[in-house]
Amino acid sequence: MSNLANILTVARREYQVRIRTRSFLVGTALLILSVVAIAMAPIIVQAISGSGAQRVAVWAGAPDIGGSPAATLDSLLNAPTGGGTIAGGQVPTGNFSVRTVTDLDAARRSVDKGDDTAVLAINRGASGDLAFTLYTNESSTGRVAQLIKQAVSAVVIADRFARLNVAPADQARVFAPADFSVAWADPARTEATQSSADQGASYFLGFGMTILIFMMIILYGQWVAASVVEEKSSRVMEVILNAATPFQLLTGKVAGVGAVALTQYLAILAAGLVALAAQGPVAGLLLGAGTAASSLPQGLTPGLLGLLVVYGVLGFLLYAVLFAGAGSLVSRQEDVNQVVTPMTLVATAGYMVGVYSATGLLDIRAGWLTILGQVPFLSPFLMLSRVTSGQAAAWEVPLSIVLMAITLVACLWLAARLYAVGVLLYGQRPSARTIWRLLRHGM
Amino acid sequence: MSSVASATGGRLVIEGLRKRFGAVQALDGVSFEVRAGEIFGFLGSNGAGKTTTMRIVLGFLQADEGTITWDGRPAHAWPRRTWGYMPEERGLYLRMPVLEQLVFFAALYGMPRRQAQAEALEWLARFRIAEYADRKAETLSKGNQQKVQYIAMILHGPQVLIMDEPFTGLDPVNAAQLREALLELRDQGRTIVFSTHQLSTAEELCDSVAIIDHGRLVIAGPTRDVRRSTGNQVVRVATDGGADAEWLGALPGVTVTRRGADYTELRVAAGGNPQSVLRAAVERGRDVLRFEVAAPSLEEVFVERVGALVSEDHSLAAPVGAR
Repeated sequence: MSNLANILTVARREYQVRIRTRSFLVGTALLILSVVAIAMAPIIVQAISGSGAQRVAVWAGAPDIGGSPAATLDSLLNAPTGGGTIAGGQVPTGNFSVRTVTDLDAARRSVDKGDDTAVLAINRGASGDLAFTLYTNESSTGRVAQLIKQAVSAVVIADRFARLNVAPADQARVFAPADFSVAWADPARTEATQSSADQGASYFLGFGMTILIFMMIILYGQWVAASVVEEKSSRVMEVILNAATPFQLLTGKVAGVGAVALTQYLAILAAGLVALAAQGPVAGLLLGAGTAASSLPQGLTPGLLGLLVVYGVLGFLLYAVLFAGAGSLVSRQEDVNQVVTPMTLVATAGYMVGVYSATGLLDIRAGWLTILGQVPFLSPFLMLSRVTSGQAAAWEVPLSIVLMAITLVACLWLAARLYAVGVLLYGQRPSARTIWRLLRHGM
Repeated sequence: MSSVASATGGRLVIEGLRKRFGAVQALDGVSFEVRAGEIFGFLGSNGAGKTTTMRIVLGFLQADEGTITWDGRPAHAWPRRTWGYMPEERGLYLRMPVLEQLVFFAALYGMPRRQAQAEALEWLARFRIAEYADRKAETLSKGNQQKVQYIAMILHGPQVLIMDEPFTGLDPVNAAQLREALLELRDQGRTIVFSTHQLSTAEELCDSVAIIDHGRLVIAGPTRDVRRSTGNQVVRVATDGGADAEWLGALPGVTVTRRGADYTELRVAAGGNPQSVLRAAVERGRDVLRFEVAAPSLEEVFVERVGALVSEDHSLAAPVGAR
């Protein structure tokens, strides 16, 4: 009862003081700015680079080109994502506007001025085949040149068919895509395979959420430790120790800093949502109506967000109580980094494994990753990417959460004990043996 | 001065405290009693065990053995607001506004914020530092920080105040203010225990004292009794002949402890009769200008029972020593 009142009093002070610090305000403002910038960057880049679409002009120098080169280019360059790729593998993005021009010189001038991206001049060579020259200010191996190079092969082939008098309908049959499908190697797996775009999105999600959790644990965990040491070095610790128990001080501090962290994350989340919602209108304003607005990252479901919160909060608490216990052992800010090294190392190791498995550098299906995912200090970094990649078995999430909760209680007990002896220790950093003795016998 | 005691009949009883830190026996059976409503001085050199005893009384440390009771109940059974504490190293949140942290401290003792705020403002006004209420503590002078520290100790209205070396580092003006404040708190019926190695301050303020050395209690009791505990007596003599120290030192059972400009101070060993000094002066045909018999000062008792006091605040009036 008074326990809870004191925890809340400590948490409230911690929150009020931290939230007013310049480092928090500046840090949050910078993070919000960068979130907005990331959300708006594609639109701004497009707006700055002129128009949204890449404008390509086609100039026919021969009167008898078979098929319609401009139409063929248009359909190939703007083929929908994920559909048939053009031979060679470059995936077009569907943002080209192709038109036919009659004045090559004028068209080249307009490329030079930057109004158009490129002019494709088509001539008939001495062998009878078509010859192409692309006039552009971009590099000869750039993306536009590569896409057009792949696309013109279709124009050449259409022209050759036309010269061989193959009917357009027959041509269409020649180019009809083959019946091709992909399946899992493992016969037990029946769910649909992921397209590379989906897989990219899940990589991105797993990776992004792991970074968020890692940042929360390391940044705010160290904040907890620094705050404990501040109370020790200013000697205010003994004053408040007369009023509150070490346990109240410890849990209040962790709760207060945690609330600060949540405030910062909510501010960033709100800014991100506003920026996403504003993407459409802003794009419409800058790029003209009809521009597609992007939406939430693919695959980010409410359930996944919930898991992010659960793993983020549990992971933070787990590490933060240990950061507080460790921080209580030293009395100068310079010594904080040293004493929190064990936690930082474990968190970094978990983060590395998490990111490697999220991005495919480690095979996420490996059995040892399933086991590591259940280690409470690693779960926050590993489980989210296991979930987004669809590798987590049904039992993995609940079991890891239960294990983390049990470990949290144990850590809280250990940290409160460390704290109780540590807050009165001044001077030299205690040796591991001293700490062990104090933990066993108290102070 | 010492009769204020037991206005409420309560006592802070410390009994048989033992505490070991690794190889060091910090406390080795410390027992003493503080009567409710008195000012109690806890005396000893640095490292004697004063801070450890206070921390055990306040429950920061667990004793290996021994008990502490206040008014008949174990100390830890009393609500935290019973106790006020001022540690030796002053502790404030340097980057937090003064009023805000005072309210925070009081809230930890369960005091309503509104009340804490109003009373803190009253205290600040009383100490003439009301204009600093919204300033960060680090912008205050050391003396003013002391005042804030003092308010932090008493704002929640504790019955028992425990202060670790409250006079260390105070300039004479602030020390005088603190003495006044402690007397006033005593008059309100609060019980005050403070440690010090300024023995003259203790002698002046304390109704009772305890002397501790190397974790052992040397003596405890009303200040008057402690001063008389050695059986020695102090005699201050001045005669019209001058150079009194020469012949006084030759008297049996008498030691010259101070050769003042206007008088000479002697210690008459236990069993000796101070009147013999007066008789000796008269027999020498001198006119006695001053003759005073007193109990030894706490400092003299301390030196006799413990040895020289090792501390930076040691009085300059060092004993001449036995001849």
